[in-house]
Amino acid sequence: MIVRPARTALPTRRALVAVWVAAAAAFVVLVSVAQRLEGPLDDPDQAEQRVGFVDEGPLPRPAPMVTDGMPAGGRPTVVLFLRPAGAAAQCRDVSRRVSPTAALVVVLAGPASCVGIPAVLVDPERRTAVAYGMRSPADGGPPVGYAVVDAETRIRYRTLDPDPAAHSREITTILGAL
Amino acid sequence: MTAAAVRVRGSWRLCGWCAAAIVLEAGLYASYRGHDARFHWFTHFFVGAATALAVMTIVVLRCRRPVARPLVWPMAAHVVAMAPDLAFTAGYAHQRWMDIFLGHITVHFVPGRNWTWLIVFLTSLAAYLVALDRTRSRVAAP
Repeated sequence: MIVRPARTALPTRRALVAVWVAAAAAFVVLVSVAQRLEGPLDDPDQAEQRVGFVDEGPLPRPAPMVTDGMPAGGRPTVVLFLRPAGAAAQCRDVSRRVSPTAALVVVLAGPASCVGIPAVLVDPERRTAVAYGMRSPADGGPPVGYAVVDAETRIRYRTLDPDPAAHSREITTILGAL
Repeated sequence: MTAAAVRVRGSWRLCGWCAAAIVLEAGLYASYRGHDARFHWFTHFFVGAATALAVMTIVVLRCRRPVARPLVWPMAAHVVAMAPDLAFTAGYAHQRWMDIFLGHITVHFVPGRNWTWLIVFLTSLAAYLVALDRTRSRVAAP
């Protein structure tokens, strides 16, 4: 009797089980490692960080005043929430990249210099962050991130972002979606 | 050609596809410049791959033979699932209608987050492998 081999050799049951076990083990490790790599300033729930679309959940809602007259109507405003460490560089870089598109106001969790942005509020009590509904980062400290307020002074977007300057293009993308 | 030779050639071909898949997925991971890759890549990979595996399972059970190029299906579905993230990198914010890309917006907010999608993916993979096993049993039967 002539036995013609199948054109595609089908794997054995043992091989199929091995494929599943290897995939399960690999992805459990990868997801665990990815979660461990999240930093202290990241949102404990990654689904809520930098979602990329406006009007999530209870938004839009009226934006509370941060400093005298800010946010003002007629032009979008980005409210930056920063910690003193690294605030100077964040202010400088975000100001350079975002100020042509929107007004900027900074809420600092403690005294620090903020180059390029005149509207600054020092708020160690985090009252402004609470009023804007900013979430708490993994370390439980003051939030680092931003809220985007539209020309009608409504909060349209808010997120934790450990490095807003590095993601300033993302801020301009959200501003473009208003 | 003997059955052993066919199996060896098939293994080499599979290795080539595996290498291509890893390179493609590494490229997709790197494409998340404007978004958090560590979270979003996993979500859309699991959703896309699970969808592809469900379709592959149906095809295997109906046609009673393995699908051609089985690694291409999950990769293609992954690209579809993450298409709005590629648009985001190009400067287009997400919109609710982008859920047509395998639930691109909604899938992030399921309870359990990526762990839930990992379970869904592994269940789909198990279903596909069981379907393959059944196909092999039928082919082997006299």
